[in-house]
Amino acid sequence: MNPDHIVHIFRRVLNTAEVNASSDFFELGGDSLLATRVLSAIARDFGTELMYEDFVDDPSPDGLFAKAAAVVP
Amino acid sequence: MNGEGMRVVVVGAGLAGLTAAVDLAAAGAEVTVLEARDRVGGRMHGIPLSRSVVADGGAAYLGVRHTELLTMIGEHGLGLASTAMVGDSTFLVSDRRTTTASRVPPLDVVALGDLFDRLEELVAQVRPDAPWESPRAEYLDQLTAAQWLADEVEHPDARTFFPLFIGEMMAADPAAISVLHMAFYLCSGGGIRYLNAFEGGAQQWRIDGGAHLLCEALADRLGERVRLGHPVSAIDQDADEVVVHCVSSVAGRHSEYRADQVVVAIPPLLAQRIEFRPALPAPRATAATGRGCAVKVHLSYPAPIWREQGLSGWSVSAHGPLLSTVDDSPPDESVGVLTGFVTGAAASVFSALSSDEQRDAALAHAGQLFPQLPPPTQCSVTDWPAEIYSRGCYAALFGPGDWLRLGPTLTEPHGRVHWAGTETSLEFFGLMEGAIRSGQRVATELIHGAELATVSRKVVAQ
Repeated sequence: MNPDHIVHIFRRVLNTAEVNASSDFFELGGDSLLATRVLSAIARDFGTELMYEDFVDDPSPDGLFAKAAAVVP
Repeated sequence: MNGEGMRVVVVGAGLAGLTAAVDLAAAGAEVTVLEARDRVGGRMHGIPLSRSVVADGGAAYLGVRHTELLTMIGEHGLGLASTAMVGDSTFLVSDRRTTTASRVPPLDVVALGDLFDRLEELVAQVRPDAPWESPRAEYLDQLTAAQWLADEVEHPDARTFFPLFIGEMMAADPAAISVLHMAFYLCSGGGIRYLNAFEGGAQQWRIDGGAHLLCEALADRLGERVRLGHPVSAIDQDADEVVVHCVSSVAGRHSEYRADQVVVAIPPLLAQRIEFRPALPAPRATAATGRGCAVKVHLSYPAPIWREQGLSGWSVSAHGPLLSTVDDSPPDESVGVLTGFVTGAAASVFSALSSDEQRDAALAHAGQLFPQLPPPTQCSVTDWPAEIYSRGCYAALFGPGDWLRLGPTLTEPHGRVHWAGTETSLEFFGLMEGAIRSGQRVATELIHGAELATVSRKVVAQ
């Protein structure tokens, strides 16, 4: 697993190709509803359930990857 | 113009009927609009809260994709009021009150994301131009949204949230609508995210002063062509003309209007109650077709005081009556207005209460949500399912079997009888934008013939 995987999740949920590892989800037009879909995809693919607060803290693929990696045993 | 001298009766002075009437009159038709109520506007209705403030009892919100509505608002010199909210959201879930900076309820976010993913899959399957021809349409049309949830979604938090979401989006009890209708409605309104969002979504603005002002402005242009207090009971037609029968609600007086063409621009449940001679080859509504289950409660305060407490006024509760509240205060903050939405199954329960009981229940709920607020100075209730000349709001709910039965003939004329109304618009079905597009489509159909109406609709869609 790597940040690129989360880039792909962002692309799918936001329906845009303009995503890189440091893109801010909300600046790309994301909102809280779409954020829940990112969190469910991360839970499915990484086996890690993050909180919404984790998401808001650093809403980029890099930020979320760091959070997810920190939780993985 | 081919409309020159054509006699047209429009049944219903809601947004769809008024739009059609204005377009037809502009093309030279002799138009008469018959309206059952003693006011125009239908499901757009102003509720006076003070000498200068009027709340939207019915349809209220719009967004940037509602292009025809925005154009019409501009043409009539009306303004927009932003719904932008500042402050924390309030939640009353599992009998606990919480406030947070986001709009995410205190439920398992991963479970909510899974639910939205599943809904997104359904929406992606719908054929927006012909939902009855979607893949697996027969199956999805028979299955209720409640059955779908029971079969497909396990997490208790997703099961808690689903009826709240469908209530807010569609004013529906999931047990009363088909999965096809749910997926179609979400698709037609621009997708789940667009339909759900305030900023950047379908709730970006209100019409400043009230949505009813738009209907009143259209009616002003039509002048004496609009006849109030004229409920239509029957429509007869033969090779030469069509005769529309009214039974006046006041004196029981019978009147007749003769025309070349008729536009029926009322909700399907009401259209189905008109007697057509010869009879309709296909129904407008069935026993499964339901009333949109929305009751709006307006709570007035001396000012939007919740803002001083860092709250947006927006809330979601897991239990009724006020499943959701929205800050609808006027831009000048001369009063504070919280709109409570009682939707879906909760609306049926609430509707059955006496007006004192409704008031007590609404005030008790507001007290739980916002314990720091004083009691509201005024509480007004607009009960749409009980309105005999609307039978529900936001829109008719297509139940199991309805889309396959009703969908293919939604806009198909019955001889001299043509159809309009937001429920005949596959684009923005159930919304003001859908009503306008249906009115424009039917006017084009009468002036230029059905083929051109389809073409121009596609142009609008692009």
